[in-house]
Amino acid sequence: MANQTIIAFENVSKQYDEDLVLKDINFEIEQGKFYTLLGPSGCGKTTILRLIAGFTEATQGNIYFEKKRINDIPANKRKVNTVFQDYALFPHLNVFENVAFGLRIKKMSKQAIAIKVKEVLRLVQLDCFEDREISEMSGGQRQRVAIARALANEPDVLLLDEPLSALDLKLRTNMQYELRELQQRLGITFIFVTHDQEEALAMSDEIFVMNAGQVIQSGTPVDIYDEPINRFVADFIGESNIVEGNMLADNQVEFVGQSFECVDGGMRRNEPVEVVLRPEDLTITSPERGKLVVEVDTQLFRGVHYEIICYDQAGNEWMVHSTKKAKVGSKVGLFFEPEDIHVMRFNETEEEFDARLESYEEE
Amino acid sequence: MKKKKWSNLYLFLVFIFLYVPIFYLIFYSFNAGGTMNDFTGFTLSNYQTVFDDARLIGIVLNTFMLAFLSSLIATTIGTFGAMGIYFTKRRRTRNALLSLNNILMVSPDVIIGASFLIFFTFLGISLNFFSVLLSHIAFSIPIVVLMVLPKLNEMNASLLDAARDLGASTFGVIWKVILPFITPGVIAGYFMAFTYSLDDFAVTFFVTGNGFSTLSVEIYSRARQGISLEINALSALIFLFSICLVIGYYFISKDNLTKKQKRRLRQQSEAREIL
Amino acid sequence: MKKSKWFYSTPYYLWLLFFVITPVVMIFYQSFFNIEGNFTFENYQIYFTSGTYLKMTLNSVWYAFLITLITLIISYPTAYLLSKTKHKQLWLMLIVLPTWVNLLLKAYAFIGIFSTHGGVNHFLEFIGIGSRQILFTDFSFIFVAAYIEIPFMIMPIFNSLEELDPSLISASRDLGANSFETFRRVIFPLSLNGVKSGVQSVFIPALSLFMLTRLIGGNRVITLGTAIEEHFLVTQNWGMGSTIGVVLIVAMFIIMRLTNEKKRKGGPLSK
Repeated sequence: MANQTIIAFENVSKQYDEDLVLKDINFEIEQGKFYTLLGPSGCGKTTILRLIAGFTEATQGNIYFEKKRINDIPANKRKVNTVFQDYALFPHLNVFENVAFGLRIKKMSKQAIAIKVKEVLRLVQLDCFEDREISEMSGGQRQRVAIARALANEPDVLLLDEPLSALDLKLRTNMQYELRELQQRLGITFIFVTHDQEEALAMSDEIFVMNAGQVIQSGTPVDIYDEPINRFVADFIGESNIVEGNMLADNQVEFVGQSFECVDGGMRRNEPVEVVLRPEDLTITSPERGKLVVEVDTQLFRGVHYEIICYDQAGNEWMVHSTKKAKVGSKVGLFFEPEDIHVMRFNETEEEFDARLESYEEE
Repeated sequence: MKKKKWSNLYLFLVFIFLYVPIFYLIFYSFNAGGTMNDFTGFTLSNYQTVFDDARLIGIVLNTFMLAFLSSLIATTIGTFGAMGIYFTKRRRTRNALLSLNNILMVSPDVIIGASFLIFFTFLGISLNFFSVLLSHIAFSIPIVVLMVLPKLNEMNASLLDAARDLGASTFGVIWKVILPFITPGVIAGYFMAFTYSLDDFAVTFFVTGNGFSTLSVEIYSRARQGISLEINALSALIFLFSICLVIGYYFISKDNLTKKQKRRLRQQSEAREIL
Repeated sequence: MKKSKWFYSTPYYLWLLFFVITPVVMIFYQSFFNIEGNFTFENYQIYFTSGTYLKMTLNSVWYAFLITLITLIISYPTAYLLSKTKHKQLWLMLIVLPTWVNLLLKAYAFIGIFSTHGGVNHFLEFIGIGSRQILFTDFSFIFVAAYIEIPFMIMPIFNSLEELDPSLISASRDLGANSFETFRRVIFPLSLNGVKSGVQSVFIPALSLFMLTRLIGGNRVITLGTAIEEHFLVTQNWGMGSTIGVVLIVAMFIIMRLTNEKKRKGGPLSK
């Protein structure tokens, strides 16, 4: 491990009145990477951000920043800054004064402030906007002011709370590139909260997938996409075909009444499992050559590909992404490689999952 | 926390300050001695006097009658007036209407009273219950408008289009869509108009004649003559009445907290934590 | 919709015409007539040349200023602390409750409390200072006026503090400001509108509270309101009363000008 841990959560729980919004969270965040907390609304991702920023206190557990426990350090003494979801720009101050806010608190000299504000505004491509009122800025510009304001304080960690959710699609895609580039240029840690899986996949070094107050799976975007730990992750990230199956032996799984070769192992004999096949891993061929025979039900043109919905004889739905058109109502074969089959056990935790993966990969 | 203690002490002192005079008044309403100085013994006779004083009871009934009627009429006129302003498309006209509406809100009572007196005299309207009623309606209308207008602005305009689209007439739109939506504002407006009317002294003092008196005017003329514990007893009764209203209002508004407000409350409590 | 709008709002427009515009016009009109009913400028002439009226006006403004200042000093901390309590709606209700007790009753209570043998003098005797004249002094007038106006100052300030987006406070803390700096740089500037409307709703009535000068001030304090009442209802010199009324209206507009928020350029913060 070359990189240093900058933030660590140790058995952190958070309770609001009766609802437990975070359950025993443990993770480490390394210096200089782009992290994303991904999950549906209400999963506790924003609460984690607020705990790091110091806006709320953990009910239980310890939070470490550069190896020091920071549970009791107030927000204004932490070397992290936040870009708020609604930007929280001060309506009574103009752009310059908003960005200069933190610097004035630090009692920096006037010239130093002017230089720094110019610098960060250039960073977010807002030079010449210093004298504008906040009410005169568009949504995208406000977004940039909020980022500039947070960066002016030179934080070690920048927290971003769904900052792109209020922007339109085009602007959002642009900002994804910009944020990623900004993070790499500055080399500081970004922790980004979103419920948009595409955003998470596109920008992150590491993704933490969360649900109901727990981190379900963490890993690189590729890991999480290719090896989802359970139905929730598979469903939440990307499109998936999920069917129930049976593990016959290592590298041998049975579903829809047929036996298939696969690359998973380390499970009990005849253990009931769930099987994931990604729509883009399925190719349509003739019924004879296909591993599965299905009937094409509907077809939508999505621009880059056709989204084809098929049903097998057992009535399972199969979604296929194909660049070639299929004929609605025809019987076709579906072909896939053994590596394309991903087997998930029921109720497997992330540790168990990692341990099993290591155990059979070593063999 | 020490800080918390000081802030609670401060609030406590302010509340004492606000309530001492009222309780002082109520305390002496049980005094047998006849003054607000020495408490010589407990008695309910002052209350007895209130209930035996037919003139005073008549004035109390008059006052409530006046408040009830004036706020009812003011609420009707004001609600439709607010709709008129809401549907005024031109921004300048709308702002002009709003400024005119607010003139009576900010005018001192004496100005309202004096100008109405000139106006009524000019028209030859005699000064009695009718002139007082007209004045109370007049100064209650703007507050109703101010309570109803925000509710109208909150309303999603496409609701109206939808209702029209589904075949509702103008009357139908008002009755089936607008009124149900703005009801909380209308009720609040009525409530405010009612209290305005009950509370008013100065305007009534100017525009009333010999034949008609409200509670405020009566208290004023009695207070100028000195202390009479009958007034203390009456104020205790009024205070009790206000408390009942407040408690009722509190429980109504408490149940109406929306999810969004609750989330905001939570955020605010966090903001409190970090300060 | 257009035609029917005129139909159902007609009473409202009639009200605007007859009870807003006409009375203001009439008070101006009346101010140009003397007690005999002849058209004249002498009311204004008297007002501006005889020192007594100008002095009375200055006095009235000075008292209103004192009352406003005192209520503000007491009310701002109260509103601020209130906005941070739990069950604030309940506490706010308790602040509002005294405003529902008739103003005359409150004034009446102070007649008892401040009287020669009343509660305060009892207390002063008890601690050895000895009783003194409190009722019918400038002090008693200012005290009672402030007492009556405090809830009207607390409410707008409290509301402006409540409207403040809590994430702005978080943002300020996040950027390194401590509680005091957050207050000075964010909370206070953003609550200024509440302060302004509070000042508005205290200062203008404070210029015109004639019943208090009569009951508590014992005619020692003459405000613009007292003078108007005197001219209209006692000496029946409506012309002079209207002239003072015009002065009061002008004063009112000046206050409104000073305290009305400057509209910011551009639209409001969109959500």
